[in-house]
Amino acid sequence: MSKPQFAQIYDLVETERIRERDIDRGELVGNWINANPDTTSIARLEVFEASGKLQLHAFAASQAGLIDWGTTTTAVFAAGPASRVGAGFTATFDFGAAEARLQAMIMKGLLVLAQFHLFKDDSKRASYFLREYYAKTHDLFSR
Amino acid sequence: MTQADVHNANEVLGRWLNTNHETRGISECTVARDGDGWSVSLVGVGEDGPIQWPTVRATPLTNVEEEAGQRTMALLATFDLGFMRAETHVRLNKGVFVIVLFVTFLDDSGRANYLNREFLYRQP
Repeated sequence: MSKPQFAQIYDLVETERIRERDIDRGELVGNWINANPDTTSIARLEVFEASGKLQLHAFAASQAGLIDWGTTTTAVFAAGPASRVGAGFTATFDFGAAEARLQAMIMKGLLVLAQFHLFKDDSKRASYFLREYYAKTHDLFSR
Repeated sequence: MTQADVHNANEVLGRWLNTNHETRGISECTVARDGDGWSVSLVGVGEDGPIQWPTVRATPLTNVEEEAGQRTMALLATFDLGFMRAETHVRLNKGVFVIVLFVTFLDDSGRANYLNREFLYRQP
């Protein structure tokens, strides 16, 4: 087997083929709520599997209640180039005049979500980013 | 506000070195600014010496909320090396320069797409 190409020695690994569907998404799947109840951005995330793909349904906060952003397909990322453990995902919501690119990673049970909001219209608004933290809802502590 | 007005933008300029001397990933990063344009270059750790990644244009984004009592900025940059693509963002957190990489392999090596973080400090 020839040595794989790499741009950092961390990537110099030989492994059986690991396809996206081989990566365990168990820790990523669930309903996530923003740890900040006063958020002005994404308040809730639903992460679920459908047709072999990891899907993301996002809800943003507003004074009138949650705004449903709809569902988009994510790209799943493992913890390393020879790992089958899901560690995060990326996703994009395209609203036409604006775009929200999301980069999510799991840290000690929290979902850390980096949000990159890019404006594509002529409004002159500056692109901005946020990092917010989400907890997976469960009933363990309410039993 | 325009992208040129990103808060504390100049704080990320310069050469940054990995805090982990034994990293097998990114050893250094250089952020430069040319007019309103930004660029990021990375150096990876190789078997026989450093591997220079291509310099790419970056998109600056301002942080609209304070985080840990500070306001800073982030840069989005994508490195396409043919056999792999790394979608990255870099940001400052209390003087630590954080790089987050989402690596997608485009070759037939079977390696898993993965994410990684590196922490760098400003070259003295």
